[in-house]
Amino acid sequence: MTGQFVAGQAPTVGSGRSARPRTRPRGEARAAYFFLTPNVVLLGLFVFLPLGGALILSLQRTDGFGEGSFIGGANYAQLLSDPLFWRAAVNTVLFTVLVTPLSMGLGLLAAVLLNSVLPARGFFRSIMILPMAISGVATALMGVLIFDENSGVVDKMLRFMGLPGVPWQSGGAAAFASVVIMTLWWRVGFNMLIYLAGLQGISPELIEAARLDGATGLQRLRFVTVPLLGPSSFFLLVLNVIYSFQVFDLVFVMTGGGPQNATSVLVTYAYDQAFVTRDQGYAAAIGIVLMVFALVFTAVQWRYNKSRDRGE
Amino acid sequence: MSRIRAGRRWGLGLRLVLAIAMSAVIIFPLYWMIVVAFSARADLLGPELRFWPETFTLENFERVLTTFPVAEWFGNSVAISVVVSTITVAVNLLGGYAFAHLRFRGSTALFIIALTTLILPLQVIMVPLFRLITGLGLYGSYWAVILPTAASAFGLFLSRQFIQGIPRDLIEAARIDGAGHFRVFAQIVLPLSKPLIAVLFFMTLLQSWNDFAWPLIALKENSLFTLPIGLLYLQGQFGADYGGTMAFALINVIPLAVLFLLFQRYFVQGFARSGLR
Amino acid sequence: MELSRRHFLAGAGAVSLPLVLAACGFAPAAPKSTPKAGTLTFTTWGTDSELAGFRKGISAFQAANPGATVTLNAVPYKEMFTNIDAQLQAGNPPDIFRVQYYNFGSYAGRGQLLDLSTQLDSGFRDRFTPAAWSAVQNGGKPFGVPHHTDTSAILYNKAAFETAGVGPVPTAVEDAWTWDEFEKVAQKLRDSMPADKYPFAVNWQGNGVTRWLNWLFQADGRFLEDDLVTPAIKSKAGATALDFTRSFFPKGFVPPSDSVQSSTLAADIWFSQTSAMGFAGAFLIPSAAKTLDFDWGATFFPRNVRAGGDLGGNALVATSETSNPELAASFLDFMTQEQPMRDFCSGASLLPTRADLVAGGIEFAQRSDLSPVFVGQASVVQAQDAGQVASPDMTKIITVLKDQLELAFVGGQSTDDTLTAISAGIAKATGG
Repeated sequence: MTGQFVAGQAPTVGSGRSARPRTRPRGEARAAYFFLTPNVVLLGLFVFLPLGGALILSLQRTDGFGEGSFIGGANYAQLLSDPLFWRAAVNTVLFTVLVTPLSMGLGLLAAVLLNSVLPARGFFRSIMILPMAISGVATALMGVLIFDENSGVVDKMLRFMGLPGVPWQSGGAAAFASVVIMTLWWRVGFNMLIYLAGLQGISPELIEAARLDGATGLQRLRFVTVPLLGPSSFFLLVLNVIYSFQVFDLVFVMTGGGPQNATSVLVTYAYDQAFVTRDQGYAAAIGIVLMVFALVFTAVQWRYNKSRDRGE
Repeated sequence: MSRIRAGRRWGLGLRLVLAIAMSAVIIFPLYWMIVVAFSARADLLGPELRFWPETFTLENFERVLTTFPVAEWFGNSVAISVVVSTITVAVNLLGGYAFAHLRFRGSTALFIIALTTLILPLQVIMVPLFRLITGLGLYGSYWAVILPTAASAFGLFLSRQFIQGIPRDLIEAARIDGAGHFRVFAQIVLPLSKPLIAVLFFMTLLQSWNDFAWPLIALKENSLFTLPIGLLYLQGQFGADYGGTMAFALINVIPLAVLFLLFQRYFVQGFARSGLR
Repeated sequence: MELSRRHFLAGAGAVSLPLVLAACGFAPAAPKSTPKAGTLTFTTWGTDSELAGFRKGISAFQAANPGATVTLNAVPYKEMFTNIDAQLQAGNPPDIFRVQYYNFGSYAGRGQLLDLSTQLDSGFRDRFTPAAWSAVQNGGKPFGVPHHTDTSAILYNKAAFETAGVGPVPTAVEDAWTWDEFEKVAQKLRDSMPADKYPFAVNWQGNGVTRWLNWLFQADGRFLEDDLVTPAIKSKAGATALDFTRSFFPKGFVPPSDSVQSSTLAADIWFSQTSAMGFAGAFLIPSAAKTLDFDWGATFFPRNVRAGGDLGGNALVATSETSNPELAASFLDFMTQEQPMRDFCSGASLLPTRADLVAGGIEFAQRSDLSPVFVGQASVVQAQDAGQVASPDMTKIITVLKDQLELAFVGGQSTDDTLTAISAGIAKATGG
């Protein structure tokens, strides 16, 4: 049973396929349109239409209130030479590069740990996934409280132990770290959940076979488990990267992009441009660029995953 | 033999310690949230290190429950989240089947385009979307929140993965018997998709429940607001009311957490069966 | 885009009808004396006491004008203006909203607000102080009413002062500490406090960066010329103010997290007793009175060449395409009459904008002993200072100030470079 559940792989089909070659494609396409219509309508109307609006905005100089003036690609040209934009872009990439492997790695470790024989395993699992139920804003507010460098509990504990307090608000690297830490706290449970599910789909015989062949725990993990978790990893990779690119609440509430733009990311920068500086066109351009980055990344990941599956 | 058993016992001890340490780190902020929710404001700002509320008080909860129409907002949240989840499940199940089992030109490209909608942060399309909602005459009704929120491709991604795992032989067999695609969907795919439906419904419920930025802008009147918006009110002009914020966050999270813990087993099962091996 | 044309036409229609009527002699001579009817939506944020004050004012207005209904829509402060912007752009804004003086120009300068000069009679300006009136002008016309003001003074921890041996605290605004005296007080505190505590915290975080202007005005400087376009900050006064405020950080007078772009508010630093003094507005008094368990008092902001203060606070405005401009104007008029303003300000611990109330003084409902400090502080706010804040580009200028002052305070940027950068940024913002 398990063999047939590998995602992304089209199993070979019997002779029924060749019986009606010509009606199949046409019938399927028509059926496809029918099945996809609700999705297309929803996405088209409520995502692509506003996206189109944003695209048009990005070609204008406007504060949103009056008529905008059409300036073509000038906003995009301005982006290229805007140091704040590049700072935000670098920060976004850095954030993604830190959070994605860390949350997946920690999630995997937690899943392996909590998949093994342990007393009160269910209890531990419940605790790990509890942060998922909390909203981004509430998480960020908790972070503000806990990491406050003057009256927060983390620094109080550090000072109690005789260590210097960490400047979580006034230090750039520390502020960045505090945001990463809260993000990991929030996201590890989800990663663990996916990996747990994946682990349970691995037949124990495979692991047993590897052990009988003399593989140690670590080797079993590396050469049997992780490869078999490929689809889970792909799923998590795409979702984690997408989430990291569009992180907003956690950064906005915890640091507001500071100190001195140390934690400014693309979406907070776009928001500031739209509603504080009131340059709606420029903000829209930032958003479009963000989307293009992510689109390119997703397509590359997809292509890579497809070829990897085919190569198996 | 005894060496293996000893090794296993030692392994068990180490693993238990690790599990406890990990859980402690995760639970600490939640514990802190509870402590703050039950502390008086003056305590929170004191300089000493304390792990327990100095004065255990219910005043934050009282204040929050009397200031906001919590019951009304709770009802709004439930109504909106349930409808969003239902629509999402229905729409994405259909779409997932199409991408998983139907061959048509541009299927991959279309799927990737659909996926990219996940990337679009609200802040970028907020104003055009708001103009659209107003133009459609939806402003100030639940639908202003429900429809854009239901337009999410996460469910599509998950459905496709899951439905791809349903053996093609079953589908082929039914088709050879003359069943149209919709009959195949209704009679074969749907019954096998129960775990997927559960997972998708719940994950959408979770996301929609905690959503606040769009509901605030799209639901004109206070009486229609959803629960998380209350958190925003507590971040006043002059600094946050942390005790009240944490109390309110607790109120907001408890229904979800309870549901979560009750159905935890079905999730793991649901994700497992989604072929995400 | 058709929407903006509709805006314009609707707005033009709303304003021109009364003008036509007035020209034909059909307009009532004193609109505020005849009761009005209709519905208004009023969107605002506020603390509990501010919202209670608004509700009280609304009931009184409705009682005086049967047939008029005002619906109060209380929204969270954080999202208030994002929502207002979106609503204005989509064509469905509220009739009335509350707006900070520094944000006022952004809307007034873009045709989003109702021109009140056509709705209210010409003597209307006399009821306000010149400083308050100057804050709601755009192009020489009033586009809102100054509802209340607020300015910063010093709140201090009495025990910390005693320990440090700080002498008697000024009780009249003319006797406020000079910058030198203030520095000496800070040094005394610094010497007597442990390393993780600080003499004071300044409330210039985020959009409160306008509180830095207090120091600029006290050095008798400006950031904009009278034309509200040309930058005026690169001056000796600018350098004096910047040098002095920068020195707070290396001298350990303020905690490192007291910078402009910090997410920690000065109020929280003072409330938690991490600092002995906190610069704060009167609006903090109710929550301070309720939650603090140490003895505290208030005294005046220091002065240099002169006394000066920034004009914090909010105006009430009507949107240009409101469907009932007469009722809207009438409401704005009502809320700035003596009794409603007195009630609102004393209940919410805010300062009035009416000349008669400023002269006669008002009493806060809580810690009424501190009312004279804040009322006195507000009396040194000058029109020439407040008027600069009404520039339509003020929000952009605030961004420039935030970025550059942050660099000056904690980024090691020199005073000269900072003033040059601010000047350039202001010029870019105003196009001048």
